[in-house]
Amino acid sequence: MHTFYGYRRQQGLPGLRNWVAIIPSVFCANTVVRRIAQQAAGTVELIHPVGCSQVGLDLELTAKALKGVGRHPNFYGVIVVGLGCERFQAKELADSIAATGKPVEMIVIQEEGDTQKAIDKGVRLAQKLVEQAAKQQKEEFPLSELCLGLKCGGTDATSGIAANPALGWVTDQIVAEGGSAMLTEVTELIGAEHVLARRAVTPIVGQKILDIVRNMENKLKTGTARSDFQNRSALISPGNEDGGITTVVEKALGGIHKGGTGPITGVLAYGETLEEHGLYILDCPGHDGEAVTGLVASGCQVVVFTTGRGTPTGFPGVPVIKITGNTSTYERMKYNLDFNAGEIIDKGLSIAEVGEGLLEKVIETASGVPTKAEIGMNDELFCITRSYGG
Amino acid sequence: MLTALRIDPRDNVAVVLREVQKGEEVLVNMITGAVHLTAQSDIPFGHKIAVTTLLESDPIIKYGEEIGNAKKPIQPGAWVHLQNVYCKRGRED
Repeated sequence: MHTFYGYRRQQGLPGLRNWVAIIPSVFCANTVVRRIAQQAAGTVELIHPVGCSQVGLDLELTAKALKGVGRHPNFYGVIVVGLGCERFQAKELADSIAATGKPVEMIVIQEEGDTQKAIDKGVRLAQKLVEQAAKQQKEEFPLSELCLGLKCGGTDATSGIAANPALGWVTDQIVAEGGSAMLTEVTELIGAEHVLARRAVTPIVGQKILDIVRNMENKLKTGTARSDFQNRSALISPGNEDGGITTVVEKALGGIHKGGTGPITGVLAYGETLEEHGLYILDCPGHDGEAVTGLVASGCQVVVFTTGRGTPTGFPGVPVIKITGNTSTYERMKYNLDFNAGEIIDKGLSIAEVGEGLLEKVIETASGVPTKAEIGMNDELFCITRSYGG
Repeated sequence: MLTALRIDPRDNVAVVLREVQKGEEVLVNMITGAVHLTAQSDIPFGHKIAVTTLLESDPIIKYGEEIGNAKKPIQPGAWVHLQNVYCKRGRED
């Protein structure tokens, strides 16, 4: 049985990091958030473009994303910064985060008067929270307290034969030891949903899997129905095509390997957290940032991201382990990548051999070794899903 | 001589694990025995080579599942990609 080191939280899973997060409830507070984070080591900023003039499902997705991310176990405490007039109120966000038992502070720019006053207050509060956080010691936890987010991006032909199977081996191990994992990017499941549905623990879960994929496919068809958008209709990217992927189905069949071979316990909606351990499908779109934000908002403490073509991206405060099955990508981009699964192809290593190495990497990352994206302070992947027209 | 990777016993395409030149001999291990193919064109790393003859609209099988259909007849050894495959799911050409 494997263990990792993390920070115990009042509720839910342990954190792998102990950051103080600075989160705006609305984009108008972004600069204040940045300036606070710049003046306090030990903080991460989570800026975004929304919170204003939203209604219905669109506003609800923003609320779910910000609450889910704010409540994340990797944050010791949070400072919420609002402007004052916004549609998504700072108090709603602060209250939701405080319900986890986490220390939360709130600053409203219009109440403080101006940005300088808001920044000053924020920096002093950040100092206090960072000092408190530093007193917390790590504890040892079994793998049953780990929830892995599964992601692929910049897919090429090696993703389906090396990187994703190696990650799938790790997924199987973690779930076998009582832990959890989430597979997402519903656009990337098109064509493989029947393979997943067969693994569902109940027929209802199997049907839900088919439903979310069908809904996504219908949405995409509606989006590309107009004849003047025909040149915008391809679901696979030029990078995928250059890398040897010919159809969405081929891409999906290669992608689902990262979910391993075990039973699928349920389907989660955006922002929903899990009640029991297991492997889940999370309903999020295929945009790399929206998918990782969804995984984080649903509680994944670490994300493993397979990439054939190579991507440097990261998420503020949450380790994103980048692995590739393409050795030449690894050699070119190893400054931004954490693990090479390409030895399955060029050295004939077995999936299990490489999987063991990847599991070690996941555990050491969980326990504190920073990923390339964390060292590089890459924060591209915090992207909130919009819903235009419901 | 390169051995291309056949992922599932039911597959009718194999993945070339390095760039292949037109005319090169490529081996694919099928359950019924090894198949020797001649690459009909250059094939880039990671791309697919046809193992059997495919007629127009025949399914392309990879990972044991249908990933698309042949747009036109495909010879053994041919490079299988956007130029000769269509998919009913997602993009159509």
